[in-house]
Amino acid sequence: MAERYDVAVVGAGHNGLVCAAYLARAGLRVVVLERRDRAGGPLETAEIAPGFRAPAGVHTVGRLRRSVVRDLALERHALRLLQPAVRSFAPHPDGRAVTLWDDPARTAAELEPWSARDAAAYQAFDRRVRALASLMGHLHATVPPNLSSPSLDDALAGLRVAAAVRRAWGPREVREALRILPMPVADFVDEAFATDALRAAIAARGVHYTAMGPRAAGTTAVLLSDSVGQRGAGERPVTVAGGPGALADALVAAARSSGAEVRCGAEAVAVTTSRRRVTGVALAGGEEVLARAVVSGADPKRTLLDLVDPALLGPTLSWRASNIRSPGTLAKVNLALDALPTFPAASDEERLRGRIVVAPGIDDLERAFDASKYGGISEEPYLEATIPTLSDPSLAPEGGHVMSVLLQWAPYRLRDGDWKARREELGDLAIKRLEQVAPGMSGMVLAREVLTPADVERRYGLTEGHPLHAEPGLDQFFAWRPLLGYARYRMPVAGLYLCGSGAHPGGGITGAPGANAARVVLGDLRR
Amino acid sequence: MAHDAVVIGGGHNGLVAAAYLARAGLRTLVLERRHVLGGAAVTEEVFPGFRFSEASYVVSLLRPEIIRDLDLPRNGFAVLPLDGTFTPLDGDSLWRTNDHARTVRELRRWSRSDAEAYEEYGQLMVDMARFIKPVLAMAPPDPGRLRPAEWLPVLRLARAFRDLPRDHQATFVQLMTMSAADFLGQWFETDPLIATMAASGIIGTFQGIRSPGTAYVLLHHYMGEIDGAFRAWGIPRGGTGGVSEAIASAARSFGAEIRTEAAVARVALREDRATGVVLESGEEIAARTVLSSVDARTTLLGMLEPGTLEPSVEEALRRFRYRGSSGKVNLALDGLPDFTSMPGGGEHLRGAISISPSVDWMERAYDDAKYGRFSRRPYVDMVIPTLVDPSMAPPGKHVMSCFVQYAPYHLAEGASWDEQREAFGDTVVETIAEFAPNLRDRVLHRQVLTPLDLEREFGLAEGNIFQGELSLEQLFWARPAPGLGRYRTPVDGLWLCGSSVHPGGGIMGAPGRLAAFEALRDLAGRRRPAAVAGEG
Repeated sequence: MAERYDVAVVGAGHNGLVCAAYLARAGLRVVVLERRDRAGGPLETAEIAPGFRAPAGVHTVGRLRRSVVRDLALERHALRLLQPAVRSFAPHPDGRAVTLWDDPARTAAELEPWSARDAAAYQAFDRRVRALASLMGHLHATVPPNLSSPSLDDALAGLRVAAAVRRAWGPREVREALRILPMPVADFVDEAFATDALRAAIAARGVHYTAMGPRAAGTTAVLLSDSVGQRGAGERPVTVAGGPGALADALVAAARSSGAEVRCGAEAVAVTTSRRRVTGVALAGGEEVLARAVVSGADPKRTLLDLVDPALLGPTLSWRASNIRSPGTLAKVNLALDALPTFPAASDEERLRGRIVVAPGIDDLERAFDASKYGGISEEPYLEATIPTLSDPSLAPEGGHVMSVLLQWAPYRLRDGDWKARREELGDLAIKRLEQVAPGMSGMVLAREVLTPADVERRYGLTEGHPLHAEPGLDQFFAWRPLLGYARYRMPVAGLYLCGSGAHPGGGITGAPGANAARVVLGDLRR
Repeated sequence: MAHDAVVIGGGHNGLVAAAYLARAGLRTLVLERRHVLGGAAVTEEVFPGFRFSEASYVVSLLRPEIIRDLDLPRNGFAVLPLDGTFTPLDGDSLWRTNDHARTVRELRRWSRSDAEAYEEYGQLMVDMARFIKPVLAMAPPDPGRLRPAEWLPVLRLARAFRDLPRDHQATFVQLMTMSAADFLGQWFETDPLIATMAASGIIGTFQGIRSPGTAYVLLHHYMGEIDGAFRAWGIPRGGTGGVSEAIASAARSFGAEIRTEAAVARVALREDRATGVVLESGEEIAARTVLSSVDARTTLLGMLEPGTLEPSVEEALRRFRYRGSSGKVNLALDGLPDFTSMPGGGEHLRGAISISPSVDWMERAYDDAKYGRFSRRPYVDMVIPTLVDPSMAPPGKHVMSCFVQYAPYHLAEGASWDEQREAFGDTVVETIAEFAPNLRDRVLHRQVLTPLDLEREFGLAEGNIFQGELSLEQLFWARPAPGLGRYRTPVDGLWLCGSSVHPGGGIMGAPGRLAAFEALRDLAGRRRPAAVAGEG
């Protein structure tokens, strides 16, 4: 007779590990099943050339929920987070740049040469975003209500949020918040600022990882989600000492020390059931892991369409699940450099320690997006680069640097050719685009590694290579993420839960879906 | 003699408001700037013998309760139904009609599964429109305050939502959040079908069919198809001006007075209360209450002294987005267009003819406009009213109305509409001629209305046909601005009754009706204390 667990978690991505750690800490017997030979999913450090270690996927982890770090004692498990004073450095091809500092006063002061009006408006904007993000934070920490048939608890939770909002805000602020939520981020920044370069530097966070341009409704909500707990607009560019893989290691250590088992090389192929209730997980080798509950860290489509017997879902739910939108558009280019590139627009090296955003204007962002709608890639893509070696020189040999570049928009579905044949094009494009703001950098490249959306799908098991598991559009938000009726982490089969980025509050390295799901699972298993 | 109510603007909403006010016994006066009534719902003889619904061109959204309350059929209102939508393609076409079996046969030619989904989809949209219908008759609540009376209708709607089947609930959420193309893509795979159906999701917005939020506009346009008295799009007899004339006739029958060529310059105030209006001629007209069917920004920033409103309200109004995105080309023809893919003048010309051959075509048209130029190959929605109402042109001749999107009001730097007008007209004719080459030689006269012309001629700010974009953040309680969603303005006795307020544009009449009710309730409330005092 096989061993029986309380909970089997499918996938050792960060949310799976967070969820497992919380459940194990509560005394449950938990096993995490990971297909690959290492845990962490896209939290991975890869050696791209001898001695050069780069973030294979994710490069910043600023949104990691503070309560997760505390509750799981990640710092005791050797996690060291590095936080620069700069947030974004957005160089313009004309030689100027917008720098967003962690300190809004410093940002405002530097905006003076661009526009005195914008400089004066910046701090108020920053405060506004903080206030709105704190409202979003309330939503993120909540298990969404059941809108289909609200319970008394849901009504009370709703009233609590409403009361918190009313305490903090007057009628005018409430109205403003509701108006702003569905707005396109281009309009949101347009209402605040006249400088296009500044608008774009901020708006870039509203379209990051998405298949939306800045003129799409709902991108302001993405920006605000990205700003939860960040004191200002957008995620802080926090990196992990030793590379993002070190965060995965800390999460594994935390889960294990709480008593969870983490098994790598254990690929889940089906959720097994009996009388419409889960009984465990079938592995690729034929083994069945028995468990009272199964929590999936995989994306919702994979979970519902690949792991669950279609007969259990029924035709309507299968159809709804197949319509979950996950249009992946993100590519990754990692560069090993023999020196630090020179950005003429950067007066000092400090500015390069955060995110380097190549998105000179709102129209540039929109144009970079346009091509992807027709299955193509823009000649001038939107880039977000980090140089982790500036904060952690141990990642490269003496004098060398690593540059990690996220490139958008590279559509999963190409109109011409396939990604295998066109992979290197992305590397060329990224370097060409960087060359515009850092002349001479192409001559410094020793080695590079390119990850297309197809590679992201293959390597990390993300449907269509979508890094957020499901598009963070208004149609897949809060109480209807991933589907209306299934936003409370419970999936349509009794005992099956979703704990990944496809669940509320969505993607990014937060650990929030994992932590929220753990609460629900615990409540159910103790009932 | 003082009036009880003055209505600024004799467009359909102004006339509807006036009719309801007069029906309630108020001495009501409508003031129209132009020499004709109707605003954008107007019929004019643009070329000798050729009469056009100059701006708006079809009707289906007009609320049935208005038709009933104002007894419009007795006042000359009649709709000639348009049957179907014909989408010409390169070498083929897609033709849907009201004959369901025929449409399903046509769709099966493209996709078996689309043909099957078509009926299910149609039924679903009927259900959705039925569910949302009460919203059209509801003054939006103000989320800045919790007044039970305001929120009651919303609670009723929430209860109705709870009672919907879960799939319907999910569909409703999608309609409020998705793009028209994504929404339709769940049911259909035929590209020209998705493109053509999605087209109604962008009308009056500066969005593409793939932009989130356009599924709502799709629903907005669907409401007429299921709930109108005629269950289909139609052409009013005598053009859309016929609708306005009928409403005006109803208003007069209730005692309202209507003056044309009476342009209002400003609203007269005394101690922050509207006391009437001042015409451009200098004439002053006193009234206890003033309703404006002119758009919100023009009314509140253009017709009031600067500084009358709080700076935050002025700021909110300046932020209200108009950015007109469409133009209109009216053609006088000496014969019918001949579409290569379906030659001859058959039934297919008697409905809407839609140049929307693919999703990419529609999206590229939008892409052009985003950067400040009119679409090189635009989306064109045409009707030939003379096929159902021959009185619109001399015998044997035709008029063709072409609604064109995108034509951005704000052109890229260095370009002006006055210089680009004819180039725009050429582009429209050439685009249609791609599918009906004989059109070039059939055109006798051509009237090109750019967004700038719509603004100049019809007073539509920035040429937006809905008096403000129908985007998610400008709907319901936030239309035209948070805190102004209940028709009442910060100036006592001044009300908004045009498409700038909920539920927005189209020849619907709902804003006019709802605003009249709010104004009447307010007046009744003011009368009551006096009456009580009189009794004492």
